[in-house]
Parts: sequence; C-alpha cells; structure tokens
Amino acid sequence: MRILVVEDEPKTAAYLRNGLSEGGYVVDCAVDGEEGLHLAQTSAYDLVILDVMLPRRDGWSVIAELRRTGKQTPVLFLTARDQVHDRVKGLELGADDYLVKPFAFSELLARMHSVLRRGSSRPVETLKLADLEIDFPRRKVTRAGKRVDLTAKEFDLLSLLARRAGEILSRTIIAEQVWDMNFDSNTNVVDVAVRRLRQKIDEPFAKKLVHTVRGVGYVLEDR
Amino acid sequence: MSLKIAEQATGSSHGPRRWWSSITFRLTLLYVLSAAGILTVCCVLVYWMLARNVDDLAGQFLEDEVHDIRAALRELPNNPQGMDAEISMEGMYPNYYARVMDGQGREFEATPHMGEVVEGFQFPHPVKVTEPPRQFVKTRARDGRWYLLTSAWGQVGHAGDTQMVLQVALDVSKEERLVQNFGRRLAGVVLLGLGLSAAAGVVVAGMGMRPLAKITAATQRIGPTQLHERIGSTHWPQELTALAEAFDGMLDRLEDSFARLSQFSADMAHELRTPINNLMGEAEVSLSKPRTTEEYQHVLASSLEECGRLSHLIDSMLFLARAENAETELKRSALDVRREIEVVREFYDVVAEEQGVEVACTGEGQLNADPLLFRQALANLLSNALQYTPRGGKVRISVAPPNGGWMDIDVTDTGAGIDPEHLPRIFDRFYRADRSRSQYPQGLGLGLAIVKSILALHGGTVAIKSAPGAGTTVVLKFPNNAS
Repeated sequence: MRILVVEDEPKTAAYLRNGLSEGGYVVDCAVDGEEGLHLAQTSAYDLVILDVMLPRRDGWSVIAELRRTGKQTPVLFLTARDQVHDRVKGLELGADDYLVKPFAFSELLARMHSVLRRGSSRPVETLKLADLEIDFPRRKVTRAGKRVDLTAKEFDLLSLLARRAGEILSRTIIAEQVWDMNFDSNTNVVDVAVRRLRQKIDEPFAKKLVHTVRGVGYVLEDR
Repeated sequence: MSLKIAEQATGSSHGPRRWWSSITFRLTLLYVLSAAGILTVCCVLVYWMLARNVDDLAGQFLEDEVHDIRAALRELPNNPQGMDAEISMEGMYPNYYARVMDGQGREFEATPHMGEVVEGFQFPHPVKVTEPPRQFVKTRARDGRWYLLTSAWGQVGHAGDTQMVLQVALDVSKEERLVQNFGRRLAGVVLLGLGLSAAAGVVVAGMGMRPLAKITAATQRIGPTQLHERIGSTHWPQELTALAEAFDGMLDRLEDSFARLSQFSADMAHELRTPINNLMGEAEVSLSKPRTTEEYQHVLASSLEECGRLSHLIDSMLFLARAENAETELKRSALDVRREIEVVREFYDVVAEEQGVEVACTGEGQLNADPLLFRQALANLLSNALQYTPRGGKVRISVAPPNGGWMDIDVTDTGAGIDPEHLPRIFDRFYRADRSRSQYPQGLGLGLAIVKSILALHGGTVAIKSAPGAGTTVVLKFPNNAS
C-alpha cells in the first residue's frame, strides 16, 4: 500500500517514514503543501497523511483542492491544534480522520487501519492462533483443546486483541473499544484486566500469546 | 500582532477625551440651566406683577375720573357751572386730560391742551352709560410719551336721552419708564444670577466629584504587587461605599486568582520538570557509553512513559483551560444515569476486585448531560475512591431522587478521609492532599479539578465532605433538566 506523508517537521516526517515502512507500507514524503498536492494529484496513493500547518499551502487548502479536483484518496489529518472548530473544519473538508499531536504511533496505525478497512471487511466467525481458538458467535475460547472460561469483558478484550492480532493496541484504544471509555482514563485498569486475561489463557501454558510492548500497549501474537 | 493589540488597548484607554462627556461639565450645565430657568421664571413673574399693578392703578384713576364727569353731566341741567368746575379742577393735574363731546363729536368742554395731546389717538369705543369704563388703550404719542386712554357715554340730566361722549387720557410715561427700568434691572439680575450659578455649579460639581477622584486615585495605587491593599477602610460617602466594597470584593477574587495562578504556574513547571528531567537524564546516561540492545530498549520505553505523562498533562491542562473559557462544547443527550454509572463501574470492576473493595450503585435517574464528560467525572471520582480505600472497604455511588431542581450523585468511600485543612483547596489544580502519596505514578492532581470543571460546564456544582478516618463523600450536583 502506498502512503503519502505531507509533513514539514523533519523529525516527524522521518519517524513516520521509518515506522510506516517497517509496517509494510510504501511511503513518499512531501515537505510542503504544494509538493504534497502535486504528488497526491499525480500519483495513486491509498492514504494521505496530512499536517495542517504547512509552508506554501496549508493542509486545509490541500484537501480542499484535492476534493475539488475529484480525488477521493482518504486523508488523515495530523495537527497540534485541536479546537473543536478545527476538527469540524477538517471533517467538513472531507478528511477521513483527525489525529492530534502528540499521538501514539500505535494510535496512528490503528486509525489508518480503520480508514483503509472502512467498508471492506467482513467479520470473521472463528479465529485460530497457535493453539488458541476463538468462536466469536458462541463466545467460546479453547486453548490446546481445553475450554477457557472468560467473563464477558475478558472475552471482549481477547476478541479485540485477536481480531487485530499482530497489531500493537494502546491502552487508550483498548479502554475505548472494550469498555466504551472514550477519554484518557489514566488508570492502570487496562493493565489489571490484561493481567487477569493472561492468568486464564497464557499462564497454564508454556507458549505465551499476549505480549506487553512497554510504553506502547499490548499485542496478541504467535512469536 | 501583539504590537497592534497593544496599540488598540492604549488607544481605547487614552483616546481623545470629549470634554462634554465629563460628569463635572454635565452637572454644571444642568445646574446652570435649572438655575437660569428658575431665576427667569421668577423675574418674569415679578415684572409682570409690577406692570400689571401700575396699569391697574392708572386704570382705577381713569375710572374714578369718568365717574366724576358722569356725575357732573347728570347735574348739568341743574348746575351748569358744576361741569366747568369739574373739568377745570381736572385740569389741575399736570398729566391728566379730559374732554366731553356731544353725539356729533363737537367739543363741549375740555381740559387745556387736550386737543393737542390727543391729536391722532385712537380712543376705544365708548362704553354705555350704565357700564364702568373697563377698556383701556395704551398708546404712544409722537413725542414718545405714553398715554392710557378710555372713553364712555355720559347721561345729561337725570332723565331724557341726551348723551355725551367722555374721553379721558392719562400720561403714564413715568410709570412706564419705571416699569421698563425695573425690567432692565431684573434682566441684569438674571444674568448676574446665571454667572453666579455657573460659578457655584462648577464649585459644587467639583466638590461632589472629589470623592470620585479620590477613589480613582485609591484604585490606581493598586497594581499586581499591591493586591493585598483595600480601599474600603477609608470613610467614603454613602454612594461610594458600595462601589468601594464591590471593588474590594473584586480585589479579593483577583488576589485569590493571582495566588492560584502563580501557584499553578509553579506546579505546572514542577510537573513538567520531572518527566523532562527523566527524559534528559536517561538519554544522556545511556548515550555516554555503548550499551546492549536491551538497555537501549529499556531507556526508550521509559522515555515513552515519560512522554505519555507529558501528553496526558497537556490534554488535561487544555481541557481545563477550555472549560474555563467556556470553549468546550457540550454534546448533551438524555442519559440514563444508572446505566452510565454501571458502565464506569464495570470499567473499574477488575481494579476493585483486585483491591478487595466492593463497589455498589443505588438509585435511578435521568439527566441531560454530555455522556463523555459525565463518565469522565464519575471515572475520576471512582478512581480516587478506589485508590484511597483499603482492602475490605466499600465505595457507594448513589443517585438521590431529584430534589428542588437538582440531582445529586454521591460517591462515598470508607477510605482514610482527608484532613479538614486540605478541603478548601482540594479542587485546585495540582493540589494533592497527600503529598507522600503523590508518587502515585499517574496522579497529576488534576482529577478533581477536571470534575469541578465538568460540573461547572453543566451548570452544576461539586462538594466534598470528609473527615480523617471517616471516609469521603463527593457530591455531584447536576441541574435536574431531564424532561
């Protein structure tokens, strides 16, 4: 997948390029609005990551021009400003999502996935990872053929990790998706919940599937 | 940009002062106008009364004369000399003139010079025999003298139809001059009075405004460094006491805000300093010599944690700043209060279980509020309660039935409680009652400040009741607006 990053701050641009390339994306970078607009109009990208404050042509103007000329490439805004009207303006101009600096890289990946996946994915019914099996409709979990009893929330947590296996999920996203807590809840609740989940699906077994990525979040992965 | 703003500010406070907008000027003007009005009305009245009086006296004299000549006419058949005597006696008055004429206008009898004096005068139409002469005409002769004229019919003899016309004139020049002189002097008096009242007005207005100048001077002395000074101690006139008190009240609030602001800035700097210090130190130490990958990973992960702390701090500060400036837009919707509470309780379930604290909810209710902020307020309170309640303790979230337009939601714990000395500042930013536990890694001391802001945005209030050893109750008071 090809991604265009329009960002004038060199450090930000560099780490986005690195991180996204390692995540398997082909990344092009533009350092100002004019160049970004030109690239977006002349090449085919799956997603444009657009900073708002740019030299020569700001992000609002880039997306407005892009949409005016009929380009429907999904756009994800990055900005250090998050006044309510800024958000509204971005979305009104046709942005697909909006991320406020400072953001966690894992958060950016998650938002990108949801933008790119939008309307295309069909929910999976069963999932198998190593010897872990999850039957979503029946809410049944087995590990090495043995049934694991989970509470409702533990199952939701495992489902989230499993559906996005291999993807690092931040505590914020987990709290949002599992408990519907859409704010920075600033607690160790997620850590406690993950620890309890591990006690049930990982502890009795030699192979661990839930991994902590320190400072970032959690990932379900067969390593 | 900033220069422009500064210029505008200067322009507005020191712009061209319009002299007519001065209160002293307006007071003086009003004073002079009212004094002039009163003085003029009084003087005109006096003048009019005098003029009227003088005319009345002259008229009375003429009426008496007409009466006398009529009497002489009635006696004329019996006493023809009486008429002569009467007229010649009248002629003794230096400024009185009379004549008697028959129906055809032929002169029958007259005082000396009558003919010359009344030459060209328009006498009023003579009144009937039976009527007293009430019609007077004031007229000016060619030589500039003023005359009062009247005319009447007189009956000759006691019976019969022979009648004669009487014409009398009185030279009223002296009286007229008197009245005119008096009028001129009165006008002078009015002008003098105006001048005096203007002078008095300036003095009086100036004296009246002096306390205002004094109170202005008193307020000007107070700058950011003298916020402890008060102006209410001086004895102000009654009208300014309220102003002085209001000003002192404002100073109280300002002083408090300034104190909080500087405390807040200091706290903010402190909160920033710790994570930045960690970031700098760890990076510096790890770069000072080659290390293993694990060591680098450890340092990077630790940096990430510090960054998370900074990011969280910025988010919280922005939230509070916006809430304070009412920039936060509430996305209100009808909430089932109990359901929202259960969502938050469920989130903290695992933590409560781990800590061996029981969380119970009671009561039901409907509220029109921003669901996200409602949950956040409750989450902050529950998180605090769990943090300070020991194993085996209880946290109760209860919704009280709506009472007088308010809905109370209490969060009560059986924890350690808070010393009374901390309670007044417990909702301040960065204020932590328990400094020793401020090492709690995620605690910024902003949780309760955010709760307070959320309630303020909803038009509600938050209160706290606590005593050491007796647990803590936080009461969220929402306006009961569900309908």
